[in-house]
Amino acid sequence: MAIAWWQILLLTMLAFWMIIDQITVGILANYPLLYGFIAGIIMGDVKTGLVVGATLQLMVLGVGTYGGASMPDFMTGAIIGTAYAVISGKGIDFAIGLAVPVGLLMVQLDVLARFTNTFFLHRVDRYIEKGDTKRVARNIVYGVFPWGLSRAIPVFVMLLVGNSVVQKIVNAMPEWLSKGLTAAGGILPVVGIAILLRFLPTKRFVSYLIIGFLAAAYLKIPMLGVALLGLALAIIYYKQSGHPSKNNHDQQDTHKGGFENAIGEYED
Amino acid sequence: MPSANTKTEQPVKLTKHDLFQANWRWLWSSQICWNYERMMSTGYLFTMLPTLKKLYKNERDLIEMMKMHNQFFNTNAYVGGFIVGMDMAIEENKGRKAEETVAGLKAGLMGPFAGVGDTIVGVILPTIFGSIGAYMGLKGNPTGAILWLLVNFTVLILRFFLLPLGYSQGKKLIYAAGDKLNRITDAAILLGVTVVGALIPTVVSANVPLVFKTGKVALKAQTVLNQIMPSLVPVALVAFSYWLLGKKRMNSTRLIVLVLILGIVLGAFGIIGKS
Repeated sequence: MAIAWWQILLLTMLAFWMIIDQITVGILANYPLLYGFIAGIIMGDVKTGLVVGATLQLMVLGVGTYGGASMPDFMTGAIIGTAYAVISGKGIDFAIGLAVPVGLLMVQLDVLARFTNTFFLHRVDRYIEKGDTKRVARNIVYGVFPWGLSRAIPVFVMLLVGNSVVQKIVNAMPEWLSKGLTAAGGILPVVGIAILLRFLPTKRFVSYLIIGFLAAAYLKIPMLGVALLGLALAIIYYKQSGHPSKNNHDQQDTHKGGFENAIGEYED
Repeated sequence: MPSANTKTEQPVKLTKHDLFQANWRWLWSSQICWNYERMMSTGYLFTMLPTLKKLYKNERDLIEMMKMHNQFFNTNAYVGGFIVGMDMAIEENKGRKAEETVAGLKAGLMGPFAGVGDTIVGVILPTIFGSIGAYMGLKGNPTGAILWLLVNFTVLILRFFLLPLGYSQGKKLIYAAGDKLNRITDAAILLGVTVVGALIPTVVSANVPLVFKTGKVALKAQTVLNQIMPSLVPVALVAFSYWLLGKKRMNSTRLIVLVLILGIVLGAFGIIGKS
Protein backbone atom coordinates (compact mmCIF):
# COMPACT_ATOMS: atom_id res chain seq x y z
CA MET A 1 0.00 0.00 0.00
CA ALA A 2 1.04 3.63 -0.45
CA ILE A 3 1.53 5.79 2.60
CA ALA A 4 -0.94 8.66 3.10
CA TRP A 5 0.21 12.23 3.79
CA TRP A 6 -1.40 12.22 7.23
CA GLN A 7 0.49 9.07 8.13
CA ILE A 8 3.77 10.74 7.17
CA LEU A 9 2.77 13.74 9.30
CA LEU A 10 1.83 11.64 12.34
CA LEU A 11 4.98 9.50 12.13
CA THR A 12 7.13 12.63 11.84
CA MET A 13 5.45 14.06 14.92
CA LEU A 14 5.98 10.75 16.70
CA ALA A 15 9.69 10.96 15.84
CA PHE A 16 9.90 14.51 17.23
CA TRP A 17 8.07 13.52 20.40
CA MET A 18 10.17 10.36 20.71
CA ILE A 19 13.34 12.14 21.74
CA ILE A 20 11.53 14.80 23.78
CA ASP A 21 9.71 12.05 25.68
CA GLN A 22 13.01 10.37 26.48
CA ILE A 23 14.55 13.46 28.00
CA THR A 24 11.40 14.55 29.86
CA VAL A 25 8.44 12.43 30.98
CA GLY A 26 9.66 9.02 29.80
CA ILE A 27 6.19 7.61 29.15
CA LEU A 28 7.18 5.81 25.95
CA ALA A 29 10.66 5.09 27.35
CA ASN A 30 13.90 5.17 25.40
CA TYR A 31 13.38 1.71 23.98
CA PRO A 32 11.81 0.69 20.65
CA LEU A 33 8.86 -1.50 21.72
CA LEU A 34 6.26 1.22 22.30
CA TYR A 35 7.31 3.20 19.22
CA GLY A 36 6.77 0.15 17.05
CA PHE A 37 3.40 -0.30 18.73
CA ILE A 38 2.29 3.30 18.07
CA ALA A 39 3.73 3.37 14.54
CA GLY A 40 1.73 0.17 13.97
CA ILE A 41 -1.45 1.91 15.11
CA ILE A 42 -0.75 4.84 12.76
CA MET A 43 -0.04 2.50 9.84
CA GLY A 44 -3.15 0.47 10.58
CA ASP A 45 -1.22 -2.74 11.30
CA VAL A 46 -0.72 -3.07 15.04
CA LYS A 47 0.65 -6.59 14.88
CA THR A 48 3.47 -5.70 12.49
CA GLY A 49 4.36 -2.67 14.58
CA LEU A 50 4.46 -4.73 17.76
CA VAL A 51 6.62 -7.48 16.30
CA VAL A 52 9.06 -4.97 14.77
CA GLY A 53 9.22 -3.04 18.05
CA ALA A 54 9.61 -6.22 20.10
CA THR A 55 12.41 -7.62 17.94
CA LEU A 56 14.35 -4.35 18.10
CA GLN A 57 13.59 -4.05 21.81
CA LEU A 58 15.34 -7.33 22.50
CA MET A 59 18.44 -6.17 20.65
CA VAL A 60 18.95 -3.10 22.77
CA LEU A 61 17.83 -4.29 26.20
CA GLY A 62 21.08 -3.45 27.86
CA VAL A 63 22.14 -0.45 25.84
CA GLY A 64 21.63 2.47 28.16
CA THR A 65 21.87 5.99 26.80
CA TYR A 66 23.12 7.35 30.08
CA GLY A 67 26.12 9.43 30.90
CA GLY A 68 25.99 11.06 27.50
CA ALA A 69 26.87 8.02 25.41
CA SER A 70 24.97 7.70 22.16
CA MET A 71 23.29 4.42 21.38
CA PRO A 72 21.90 3.01 18.14
CA ASP A 73 18.59 4.79 17.67
CA PHE A 74 16.27 1.83 17.20
CA MET A 75 13.29 3.97 18.20
CA THR A 76 13.60 5.75 14.86
CA GLY A 77 14.40 2.35 13.41
CA ALA A 78 11.12 0.98 14.77
CA ILE A 79 9.12 3.85 13.25
CA ILE A 80 10.76 3.56 9.82
CA GLY A 81 10.84 -0.24 9.89
CA THR A 82 7.14 -0.52 10.74
CA ALA A 83 6.15 2.01 8.09
CA TYR A 84 8.20 0.29 5.39
CA ALA A 85 7.04 -3.18 6.39
CA VAL A 86 3.44 -2.09 5.87
CA ILE A 87 4.17 -0.14 2.65
CA SER A 88 6.11 -2.99 1.08
CA GLY A 89 3.95 -5.80 2.41
CA LYS A 90 7.20 -7.72 2.84
CA GLY A 91 6.76 -8.39 6.53
CA ILE A 92 8.83 -8.30 9.67
CA ASP A 93 12.20 -9.56 8.49
CA PHE A 94 12.36 -6.97 5.75
CA ALA A 95 11.52 -4.32 8.37
CA ILE A 96 14.31 -5.46 10.69
CA GLY A 97 16.78 -5.50 7.80
CA LEU A 98 15.96 -1.82 7.22
CA ALA A 99 15.55 -0.73 10.83
CA VAL A 100 19.01 -1.85 11.94
CA PRO A 101 21.02 0.26 9.44
CA VAL A 102 18.65 3.21 10.00
CA GLY A 103 19.17 2.93 13.75
CA LEU A 104 22.94 2.78 13.35
CA LEU A 105 23.04 5.80 11.02
CA MET A 106 20.86 7.85 13.34
CA VAL A 107 23.56 7.81 16.03
CA GLN A 108 25.39 10.48 14.05
CA LEU A 109 22.40 12.82 14.27
CA ASP A 110 22.13 12.26 18.01
CA VAL A 111 25.72 13.39 18.32
CA LEU A 112 24.94 16.42 16.15
CA ALA A 113 22.00 17.43 18.35
CA ARG A 114 24.01 17.12 21.55
CA PHE A 115 26.75 19.17 19.94
CA THR A 116 24.44 21.89 18.60
CA ASN A 117 23.06 22.56 22.08
CA THR A 118 26.50 23.81 23.11
CA PHE A 119 25.70 26.88 20.98
CA PHE A 120 22.72 27.69 23.20
CA LEU A 121 24.78 27.00 26.33
CA HIS A 122 27.17 29.78 25.37
CA ARG A 123 24.32 32.19 24.69
CA VAL A 124 22.99 31.34 28.14
CA ASP A 125 26.40 32.19 29.60
CA ARG A 126 26.29 35.60 27.87
CA TYR A 127 22.81 36.48 29.15
CA ILE A 128 23.69 35.38 32.69
CA GLU A 129 26.47 37.98 32.62
CA LYS A 130 23.87 40.62 31.72
CA GLY A 131 21.43 39.37 34.36
CA ASP A 132 18.81 38.86 31.67
CA THR A 133 16.82 35.97 33.16
CA LYS A 134 14.18 36.02 30.42
CA ARG A 135 16.71 35.37 27.68
CA VAL A 136 18.56 32.83 29.82
CA ALA A 137 15.35 30.82 30.12
CA ARG A 138 14.46 31.22 26.46
CA ASN A 139 17.81 29.97 25.18
CA ILE A 140 17.62 26.89 27.37
CA VAL A 141 14.21 26.03 25.94
CA TYR A 142 15.56 26.41 22.39
CA GLY A 143 17.43 23.17 23.03
CA VAL A 144 14.20 21.40 22.15
CA PHE A 145 14.75 22.11 18.43
CA PRO A 146 18.11 20.41 17.85
CA TRP A 147 16.77 17.43 19.79
CA GLY A 148 13.40 17.11 18.07
CA LEU A 149 14.44 18.01 14.54
CA SER A 150 17.39 15.61 14.59
CA ARG A 151 14.77 12.82 14.60
CA ALA A 152 11.83 14.41 12.82
CA ILE A 153 13.65 15.57 9.65
CA PRO A 154 15.26 12.22 8.74
CA VAL A 155 11.99 10.35 9.36
CA PHE A 156 10.07 12.84 7.23
CA VAL A 157 12.56 12.59 4.37
CA MET A 158 12.78 8.80 4.51
CA LEU A 159 9.00 8.45 4.44
CA LEU A 160 8.63 10.99 1.66
CA VAL A 161 10.96 9.13 -0.69
CA GLY A 162 9.69 5.85 0.76
CA ASN A 163 7.05 4.65 -1.65
CA SER A 164 9.11 4.39 -4.79
CA VAL A 165 12.44 3.54 -3.21
CA VAL A 166 11.03 0.78 -1.04
CA GLN A 167 9.39 -0.89 -4.00
CA LYS A 168 12.70 -0.83 -5.87
CA ILE A 169 14.54 -2.38 -2.92
CA VAL A 170 11.87 -5.05 -2.57
CA ASN A 171 12.04 -5.98 -6.24
CA ALA A 172 15.83 -6.16 -6.20
CA MET A 173 16.05 -8.37 -3.09
CA PRO A 174 17.30 -11.89 -3.89
CA GLU A 175 15.81 -14.93 -2.19
CA TRP A 176 18.93 -15.88 -0.21
CA LEU A 177 18.93 -12.44 1.38
CA SER A 178 15.36 -12.66 2.64
CA LYS A 179 16.13 -16.14 3.98
CA GLY A 180 19.22 -14.76 5.70
CA LEU A 181 17.33 -11.81 7.13
CA THR A 182 14.77 -14.17 8.61
CA ALA A 183 17.48 -16.08 10.43
CA ALA A 184 19.19 -12.86 11.51
CA GLY A 185 15.91 -11.53 12.91
CA GLY A 186 15.66 -14.66 15.01
CA ILE A 187 19.10 -14.45 16.59
CA LEU A 188 19.54 -10.66 16.94
CA PRO A 189 18.02 -10.65 20.46
CA VAL A 190 21.21 -12.33 21.72
CA VAL A 191 22.95 -8.97 21.29
CA GLY A 192 20.62 -7.20 23.72
CA ILE A 193 20.84 -10.04 26.20
CA ALA A 194 24.64 -10.19 26.05
CA ILE A 195 25.01 -6.42 26.49
CA LEU A 196 22.64 -6.50 29.43
CA LEU A 197 24.56 -9.33 31.06
CA ARG A 198 27.75 -7.31 30.64
CA PHE A 199 26.13 -4.28 32.26
CA LEU A 200 24.69 -6.14 35.24
CA PRO A 201 26.91 -7.74 37.90
CA THR A 202 26.03 -11.09 36.33
CA LYS A 203 28.85 -13.06 37.94
CA ARG A 204 27.45 -12.29 41.38
CA PHE A 205 23.93 -13.27 40.39
CA VAL A 206 24.66 -16.09 37.93
CA SER A 207 22.62 -18.60 39.95
CA TYR A 208 19.49 -16.52 39.32
CA LEU A 209 20.26 -16.45 35.61
CA ILE A 210 20.26 -20.25 35.65
CA ILE A 211 17.05 -20.37 37.70
CA GLY A 212 15.32 -18.08 35.18
CA PHE A 213 16.57 -20.23 32.30
CA LEU A 214 15.47 -23.48 33.95
CA ALA A 215 12.01 -22.09 34.67
CA ALA A 216 11.48 -21.05 31.06
CA ALA A 217 13.36 -23.71 29.07
CA TYR A 218 12.54 -26.84 31.07
CA LEU A 219 9.45 -25.98 33.09
CA LYS A 220 7.94 -23.81 30.31
CA ILE A 221 6.77 -21.17 32.78
CA PRO A 222 5.55 -18.08 30.87
CA MET A 223 7.47 -14.82 31.22
CA LEU A 224 5.13 -13.20 33.74
CA GLY A 225 5.42 -16.29 35.93
CA VAL A 226 9.21 -16.12 35.82
CA ALA A 227 9.02 -12.44 36.76
CA LEU A 228 6.91 -13.38 39.79
CA LEU A 229 9.42 -16.07 40.75
CA GLY A 230 12.16 -13.46 40.45
CA LEU A 231 10.15 -11.07 42.60
CA ALA A 232 9.82 -13.72 45.33
CA LEU A 233 13.57 -14.35 45.22
CA ALA A 234 14.24 -10.60 45.32
CA ILE A 235 12.10 -10.17 48.44
CA ILE A 236 13.88 -13.06 50.14
CA TYR A 237 17.26 -11.54 49.21
CA TYR A 238 16.24 -8.10 50.49
CA LYS A 239 15.10 -9.46 53.83
CA GLN A 240 18.13 -11.69 54.27
CA SER A 241 20.63 -9.00 53.37
CA GLY A 242 19.18 -6.83 56.14
CA HIS A 243 21.08 -8.91 58.67
CA PRO A 244 24.42 -7.22 59.26
CA SER A 245 26.39 -10.47 59.26
CA LYS A 246 25.35 -11.29 55.71
CA ASN A 247 25.89 -7.84 54.39
CA ASN A 248 29.65 -7.76 54.14
CA HIS A 249 30.37 -7.70 50.42
CA ASP A 250 31.30 -4.34 49.01
CA GLN A 251 28.27 -3.56 46.88
CA GLN A 252 29.33 -0.05 46.09
CA ASP A 253 32.38 -1.23 44.21
CA THR A 254 30.51 -3.70 42.09
CA HIS A 255 28.02 -1.10 40.94
CA LYS A 256 30.61 1.48 40.14
CA GLY A 257 32.60 -1.02 38.13
CA GLY A 258 29.64 -2.19 36.12
CA PHE A 259 28.48 1.29 35.36
CA GLU A 260 31.76 2.70 34.20
CA ASN A 261 32.44 -0.42 32.24
CA ALA A 262 29.20 0.06 30.37
CA ILE A 263 29.89 3.69 29.60
CA GLY A 264 33.40 2.96 28.49
CA GLU A 265 32.25 0.23 26.18
CA TYR A 266 29.38 2.02 24.53
CA GLU A 267 31.03 5.32 23.94
CA ASP A 268 32.35 5.07 20.45
CA MET B 1 18.62 47.19 37.35
CA PRO B 2 19.92 47.21 40.92
CA SER B 3 17.09 46.52 43.27
CA ALA B 4 16.01 49.15 45.75
CA ASN B 5 15.49 46.45 48.31
CA THR B 6 18.96 45.92 49.74
CA LYS B 7 17.78 44.08 52.86
CA THR B 8 18.85 40.68 51.60
CA GLU B 9 19.08 39.50 55.20
CA GLN B 10 15.29 39.41 55.31
CA PRO B 11 14.50 35.67 55.06
CA VAL B 12 12.34 34.74 52.11
CA LYS B 13 10.24 31.61 52.55
CA LEU B 14 9.69 29.16 49.76
CA THR B 15 6.12 27.95 49.39
CA LYS B 16 4.53 24.75 48.18
CA HIS B 17 3.92 26.51 44.91
CA ASP B 18 7.65 27.17 44.51
CA LEU B 19 8.38 23.49 45.07
CA PHE B 20 5.75 22.48 42.55
CA GLN B 21 7.11 24.93 40.01
CA ALA B 22 10.64 23.58 40.43
CA ASN B 23 9.33 20.01 40.16
CA TRP B 24 7.46 20.81 36.98
CA ARG B 25 10.45 22.58 35.48
CA TRP B 26 12.83 19.75 36.40
CA LEU B 27 10.53 17.27 34.69
CA TRP B 28 10.48 19.16 31.39
CA SER B 29 13.80 20.94 31.28
CA SER B 30 16.43 18.86 33.04
CA GLN B 31 17.88 17.55 29.77
CA ILE B 32 16.21 19.83 27.25
CA CYS B 33 19.44 21.67 26.47
CA TRP B 34 21.75 18.74 27.18
CA ASN B 35 25.13 19.31 25.56
CA TYR B 36 28.58 17.78 25.56
CA GLU B 37 30.21 20.64 27.39
CA ARG B 38 28.23 20.87 30.63
CA MET B 39 25.53 18.26 30.09
CA MET B 40 22.56 19.05 32.39
CA SER B 41 23.81 22.40 33.71
CA THR B 42 21.27 24.45 31.76
CA GLY B 43 18.42 22.22 32.89
CA TYR B 44 19.40 22.66 36.51
CA LEU B 45 19.63 26.42 36.06
CA PHE B 46 16.23 26.57 34.37
CA THR B 47 14.70 24.59 37.24
CA MET B 48 16.19 26.92 39.85
CA LEU B 49 15.48 30.22 38.05
CA PRO B 50 12.20 31.16 39.79
CA THR B 51 13.70 30.24 43.18
CA LEU B 52 16.83 32.26 42.48
CA LYS B 53 14.81 35.28 41.41
CA LYS B 54 12.79 35.02 44.61
CA LEU B 55 15.75 34.56 46.95
CA TYR B 56 18.32 36.97 45.49
CA LYS B 57 16.99 40.48 45.12
CA ASN B 58 20.49 41.87 44.67
CA GLU B 59 21.42 41.59 41.00
CA ARG B 60 25.07 40.68 41.63
CA ASP B 61 24.02 37.78 43.88
CA LEU B 62 21.56 36.59 41.28
CA ILE B 63 24.19 36.63 38.52
CA GLU B 64 26.77 34.80 40.64
CA MET B 65 24.29 32.11 41.67
CA MET B 66 23.12 31.68 38.06
CA LYS B 67 26.76 31.20 37.05
CA MET B 68 27.26 28.61 39.78
CA HIS B 69 24.19 26.68 38.70
CA ASN B 70 25.28 26.69 35.07
CA GLN B 71 28.37 24.61 35.87
CA PHE B 72 28.79 20.99 34.84
CA PHE B 73 26.04 18.77 36.18
CA ASN B 74 24.94 15.31 35.16
CA THR B 75 22.80 12.82 36.99
CA ASN B 76 19.80 10.61 36.38
CA ALA B 77 16.83 12.84 35.57
CA TYR B 78 14.34 10.52 37.30
CA VAL B 79 15.91 10.83 40.73
CA GLY B 80 17.75 14.16 40.36
CA GLY B 81 14.77 16.09 41.73
CA PHE B 82 15.85 14.99 45.18
CA ILE B 83 19.08 16.98 44.81
CA VAL B 84 17.17 20.06 43.64
CA GLY B 85 14.90 19.80 46.70
CA MET B 86 17.85 19.66 49.08
CA ASP B 87 19.50 22.55 47.30
CA MET B 88 16.35 24.67 47.64
CA ALA B 89 16.14 24.00 51.38
CA ILE B 90 19.79 25.02 51.88
CA GLU B 91 19.63 28.15 49.74
CA GLU B 92 16.41 29.21 51.43
CA ASN B 93 18.11 29.13 54.83
CA LYS B 94 21.65 30.24 54.03
CA GLY B 95 21.25 32.29 50.87
CA ARG B 96 24.34 33.34 48.95
CA LYS B 97 26.59 32.12 51.78
CA ALA B 98 25.65 28.59 50.77
CA GLU B 99 27.17 28.97 47.31
CA GLU B 100 30.09 26.64 47.95
CA THR B 101 28.03 24.20 49.98
CA VAL B 102 25.52 23.88 47.19
CA ALA B 103 28.18 23.51 44.51
CA GLY B 104 29.79 20.75 46.58
CA LEU B 105 26.50 19.07 47.29
CA LYS B 106 25.59 18.99 43.61
CA ALA B 107 28.97 17.62 42.59
CA GLY B 108 28.98 15.07 45.39
CA LEU B 109 25.50 13.68 44.93
CA MET B 110 25.12 13.61 41.16
CA GLY B 111 27.25 10.46 40.85
CA PRO B 112 25.57 8.28 43.46
CA PHE B 113 22.13 9.37 42.29
CA ALA B 114 23.04 8.63 38.69
CA GLY B 115 24.19 5.16 39.73
CA VAL B 116 20.97 4.25 41.51
CA GLY B 117 18.66 5.92 38.97
CA ASP B 118 20.39 4.55 35.88
CA THR B 119 20.44 1.05 37.27
CA ILE B 120 16.86 0.83 38.51
CA VAL B 121 14.93 3.17 36.20
CA GLY B 122 17.28 3.02 33.23
CA VAL B 123 18.01 -0.69 33.06
CA ILE B 124 16.12 -2.91 35.49
CA LEU B 125 12.59 -1.61 34.88
CA PRO B 126 13.02 -1.67 31.08
CA THR B 127 14.55 -5.13 31.35
CA ILE B 128 11.61 -6.55 33.27
CA PHE B 129 8.74 -4.77 31.53
CA GLY B 130 10.46 -4.43 28.16
CA SER B 131 11.14 -8.18 28.21
CA ILE B 132 7.57 -9.08 29.12
CA GLY B 133 6.28 -6.58 26.54
CA ALA B 134 8.61 -7.86 23.82
CA TYR B 135 7.84 -11.51 24.67
CA MET B 136 4.13 -10.86 24.20
CA GLY B 137 4.72 -8.40 21.34
CA LEU B 138 6.55 -11.01 19.27
CA LYS B 139 3.24 -12.88 19.15
CA GLY B 140 1.35 -9.71 18.27
CA ASN B 141 -0.14 -9.35 21.76
CA PRO B 142 -0.16 -5.72 22.96
CA THR B 143 -0.92 -6.52 26.65
CA GLY B 144 2.71 -6.37 27.69
CA ALA B 145 3.30 -3.11 25.83
CA ILE B 146 0.30 -1.51 27.53
CA LEU B 147 1.44 -2.84 30.91
CA TRP B 148 4.81 -1.15 30.38
CA LEU B 149 3.04 2.08 29.44
CA LEU B 150 1.13 1.98 32.74
CA VAL B 151 4.34 1.33 34.67
CA ASN B 152 5.92 4.39 33.03
CA PHE B 153 2.94 6.50 34.08
CA THR B 154 3.33 5.24 37.63
CA VAL B 155 7.03 6.11 37.62
CA LEU B 156 6.14 9.56 36.30
CA ILE B 157 3.82 10.15 39.25
CA LEU B 158 6.32 8.79 41.78
CA ARG B 159 8.99 11.14 40.44
CA PHE B 160 6.96 14.05 41.72
CA PHE B 161 7.48 13.06 45.34
CA LEU B 162 11.27 13.13 45.22
CA LEU B 163 11.85 16.88 45.10
CA PRO B 164 9.61 17.69 48.09
CA LEU B 165 11.19 14.75 49.91
CA GLY B 166 14.64 16.18 49.28
CA TYR B 167 13.43 19.58 50.46
CA SER B 168 11.98 18.30 53.72
CA GLN B 169 14.57 15.69 54.58
CA GLY B 170 17.68 17.54 53.54
CA LYS B 171 21.07 15.95 53.54
CA LYS B 172 20.64 13.37 56.25
CA LEU B 173 18.32 11.08 54.36
CA ILE B 174 20.59 10.04 51.54
CA TYR B 175 23.32 8.92 53.89
CA ALA B 176 20.93 7.08 56.19
CA ALA B 177 19.22 5.42 53.25
CA GLY B 178 22.47 4.52 51.51
CA ASP B 179 22.61 0.92 52.69
CA LYS B 180 18.90 0.36 52.18
CA LEU B 181 19.15 1.80 48.71
CA ASN B 182 21.97 -0.59 47.86
CA ARG B 183 19.94 -3.55 49.03
CA ILE B 184 16.93 -2.46 46.99
CA THR B 185 19.14 -1.98 43.94
CA ASP B 186 20.64 -5.44 44.45
CA ALA B 187 17.24 -7.07 44.85
CA ALA B 188 16.05 -5.33 41.69
CA ILE B 189 19.13 -6.54 39.79
CA LEU B 190 18.46 -10.08 41.00
CA LEU B 191 14.92 -9.90 39.65
CA GLY B 192 16.23 -8.51 36.36
CA VAL B 193 18.82 -11.28 36.00
CA THR B 194 16.16 -13.95 36.61
CA VAL B 195 14.00 -12.49 33.83
CA VAL B 196 16.99 -12.36 31.48
CA GLY B 197 17.62 -16.05 32.16
CA ALA B 198 14.10 -16.78 30.98
CA LEU B 199 14.50 -14.52 27.94
CA ILE B 200 17.23 -16.65 26.39
CA PRO B 201 15.10 -19.70 25.58
CA THR B 202 11.91 -17.75 24.80
CA VAL B 203 12.88 -14.87 22.52
CA VAL B 204 15.99 -16.07 20.71
CA SER B 205 14.64 -18.10 17.88
CA ALA B 206 17.21 -20.35 16.24
CA ASN B 207 17.37 -23.99 15.30
CA VAL B 208 19.60 -26.09 13.07
CA PRO B 209 17.56 -27.44 10.17
CA LEU B 210 20.41 -29.64 8.87
CA VAL B 211 19.64 -33.30 8.21
CA PHE B 212 22.42 -35.90 7.96
CA LYS B 213 21.72 -39.05 5.97
CA THR B 214 23.70 -42.23 6.48
CA GLY B 215 22.21 -45.00 4.39
CA LYS B 216 18.52 -45.18 5.22
CA VAL B 217 18.75 -43.35 8.55
CA ALA B 218 18.12 -39.61 8.51
CA LEU B 219 19.50 -37.78 11.51
CA LYS B 220 18.04 -34.40 12.33
CA ALA B 221 20.66 -32.17 13.90
CA GLN B 222 18.14 -30.30 16.02
CA THR B 223 16.84 -33.52 17.61
CA VAL B 224 20.34 -34.39 18.75
CA LEU B 225 20.88 -30.89 20.13
CA ASN B 226 17.58 -31.01 21.99
CA GLN B 227 18.66 -34.18 23.75
CA ILE B 228 21.67 -32.40 25.15
CA MET B 229 19.75 -29.35 26.34
CA PRO B 230 16.75 -27.35 25.18
CA SER B 231 17.65 -24.04 23.54
CA LEU B 232 21.29 -25.04 23.18
CA VAL B 233 21.87 -22.80 20.13
CA PRO B 234 20.46 -19.63 21.79
CA VAL B 235 22.54 -20.30 24.91
CA ALA B 236 25.69 -20.81 22.83
CA LEU B 237 25.03 -17.61 20.85
CA VAL B 238 24.48 -15.56 24.01
CA ALA B 239 27.64 -16.97 25.58
CA PHE B 240 29.59 -16.20 22.40
CA SER B 241 28.29 -12.61 22.27
CA TYR B 242 29.00 -12.13 25.98
CA TRP B 243 32.55 -13.34 25.46
CA LEU B 244 33.01 -11.09 22.41
CA LEU B 245 31.86 -8.04 24.38
CA GLY B 246 34.71 -8.64 26.79
CA LYS B 247 37.21 -8.11 23.96
CA LYS B 248 38.97 -4.78 23.82
CA ARG B 249 37.90 -3.58 20.40
CA MET B 250 34.32 -4.81 20.63
CA ASN B 251 31.36 -2.56 21.44
CA SER B 252 27.59 -2.88 21.19
CA THR B 253 27.33 -1.32 17.72
CA ARG B 254 29.99 -3.61 16.25
CA LEU B 255 28.36 -6.61 17.88
CA ILE B 256 24.97 -5.76 16.32
CA VAL B 257 26.53 -5.50 12.86
CA LEU B 258 28.49 -8.71 13.39
CA VAL B 259 25.48 -10.75 14.54
CA LEU B 260 23.37 -9.32 11.71
CA ILE B 261 25.93 -10.45 9.13
CA LEU B 262 26.43 -13.79 10.88
CA GLY B 263 22.67 -14.37 10.85
CA ILE B 264 22.34 -13.51 7.17
CA VAL B 265 25.23 -15.76 6.15
CA LEU B 266 24.22 -18.75 8.29
CA GLY B 267 20.59 -18.29 7.26
CA ALA B 268 21.41 -18.04 3.56
CA PHE B 269 23.32 -21.34 3.73
CA GLY B 270 20.53 -22.97 5.69
CA ILE B 271 22.69 -23.73 8.73
CA ILE B 272 20.46 -21.74 11.08
CA GLY B 273 16.73 -21.19 10.74
CA LYS B 274 14.07 -19.38 12.66
CA SER B 275 12.26 -21.95 14.77
